[in-house]
Amino acid sequence: MLNKTTGPLPQLRLRIGIAVLAILACLLLILVSARTGFSRLVGKYALLTYSIPAANEAVSLAPSDPEAHRTLATVFSHLRLFDGAKNELETATSLRPNDDYLWLELGNVKDELGDTEGALAAFNEAVRFAPYYAHSRWQRGNLLLRMGHYPEAFADLRQAALSNRDFLPNLIDLAWGLSRGDVKATEQLVQLNDDRARIALARFLARHGQAREAVDQFHLAAASATEENKLDLQRQLIDAKAFKEAFELRSGPTNETTAVFYDGGFEGPLSFDEVVFGWRIPREQTGVSISLDATQPQSGAKSLRIQFNGNSNPSASLISQTVLVKPQHRYRINFAVRTQDVVTGALPLISISDAVSGQLLGSSPAFPQASNSWQVLSFEFATLEQTNAVILSLQRNRCSSDPCPIFGLVWLDSFSIEELK
Amino acid sequence: MSLKQRKCLTAIGTVLLFSIAQISVQVGFAQPAAGGLPVPPQQFIARLTTRNNLAITVNGNGAATGSSILTGATIETGPDQSATVNLGPLGVLDIAPNTKLVLTYDEHGNVKVMLLQGCAVLATRKKTEGEITTQQGSAGKTDRKQGGILDVCFPPGASSPVVNQGAAVAAGAGAGVGAPAGAAAAGAGGLFGIGVPATIAILVGAGSAALTPVFFQNNPSGAV
Repeated sequence: MLNKTTGPLPQLRLRIGIAVLAILACLLLILVSARTGFSRLVGKYALLTYSIPAANEAVSLAPSDPEAHRTLATVFSHLRLFDGAKNELETATSLRPNDDYLWLELGNVKDELGDTEGALAAFNEAVRFAPYYAHSRWQRGNLLLRMGHYPEAFADLRQAALSNRDFLPNLIDLAWGLSRGDVKATEQLVQLNDDRARIALARFLARHGQAREAVDQFHLAAASATEENKLDLQRQLIDAKAFKEAFELRSGPTNETTAVFYDGGFEGPLSFDEVVFGWRIPREQTGVSISLDATQPQSGAKSLRIQFNGNSNPSASLISQTVLVKPQHRYRINFAVRTQDVVTGALPLISISDAVSGQLLGSSPAFPQASNSWQVLSFEFATLEQTNAVILSLQRNRCSSDPCPIFGLVWLDSFSIEELK
Repeated sequence: MSLKQRKCLTAIGTVLLFSIAQISVQVGFAQPAAGGLPVPPQQFIARLTTRNNLAITVNGNGAATGSSILTGATIETGPDQSATVNLGPLGVLDIAPNTKLVLTYDEHGNVKVMLLQGCAVLATRKKTEGEITTQQGSAGKTDRKQGGILDVCFPPGASSPVVNQGAAVAAGAGAGVGAPAGAAAAGAGGLFGIGVPATIAILVGAGSAALTPVFFQNNPSGAV
């Protein structure tokens, strides 16, 4: 007697059955994949055009795909239909509960709707699933801040800035604004725990006119500060007209302000990038070329050679240097000049002006048109009550014609400044 | 003084001393911890929403949706950026692309926008007085009793601002308000109501993707 279960026919039937099931499963998978793929394609179109019908179709094609619901929510949000966006994001988060970005989006939409508690709950979920990521902490911190929970808010904001340094300037800015410009309170709220944070705070304080505090913070972080950090802060201080502090950053702390030129004899190299207390030469100058000349210096090994080749703006500063001075003091400037075949209606001269107000304080006589040998020129000026720094500039006299060309050569050397008793 | 009285006085003194010590300890505990975090005074803080969550510039730093905007903030948008500042009970400020402004507000219902360049729409609620100023002075104010809307554009180099002519909305302030794209597409026909051209584009795209393996096999030379 044959066993029915082990015969060739039932085996064939079993195989066919399995094959049919497999084919059906494959067809199902193909169908699901096609629907999901098509849903994503329609979703992309919906995002490009902010079309609700297209986004709805993406959802109906793949109702269990959280991305489709997210797409519809994005379209709703863009059109400020936040109720619809909230519903879609709630569905999306239920389908993919571990996605911190979905929770963040839900939190933002709830915040838009004025549901701060709901938003906080969503942000809490985002932080739960991404506790070390900056974005989740930053969003929750901002919400807590607006809810008035300052200590919790700053704990989150600090954590975010610790994870992502890009948030540090924002954190300092918020602490500064909230403490109404109180440096100490800002420092405490930010809770500086490394030198990079201190340098960031120093830059911020310099920009906000707190030069003394900026320099103090920088000194605390000096061990880690690079030359670029230092130059950057000096630029910020100069922009804020805090010349004394900028000078201190370059030369160390000084109690006594002694007026002095940096490289008055032009012995060092010239740089277009000098922004603080050296000779400043504008990068773009028409009709003028400036170089160091070692052929006939008045003192040392070099002098400054300026060649005029035609039209140039008479009021433009060709070279300049900022010098620290004392208020209400008299000073004398000495320098050597040599000229060759200078032809112009507006001869060059040296002027001194207040570094903050720009008020002219004094100027040298106009340079001679031709002097085969060096001439030493001097002139005096008095600083104003509020003058802490002056700017020495090589300029030209006023010109009666426009354009006002100039041709010829000028050499300068041996700049010095002395305080008059 | 008898021994009994002396013992009684000693007991009372001990109890008193203990009580004073307890008070001191409790007062000590009640003091705020030295060096603790300062608690800033409570103040209303506005909320920023940026278009497509693109970062704009607030006080020189990048800021996106959800950022807090404190009073006195300088807000700047780039060419493809627009933003909305939700001022809660005070109103809403919509900022168009290429705009720079300084926003100040307080709890007493005052909102002031110093428009340095660009376009903005300030909508204030009742009990709030809103004002937009430019370098030329005040461009307009809203009524404190009624609230109102100010639509101001002050392009770079302009001699005077354009006020309440819809210029700021046209420039993109409040972009995303209403349902332009979706509403337009709703009646456009085609598959899913997304319009005939879009339907054709999607179907052609999907068809091309599906048929790619058929036309482009592994061996491009066709050799066996």
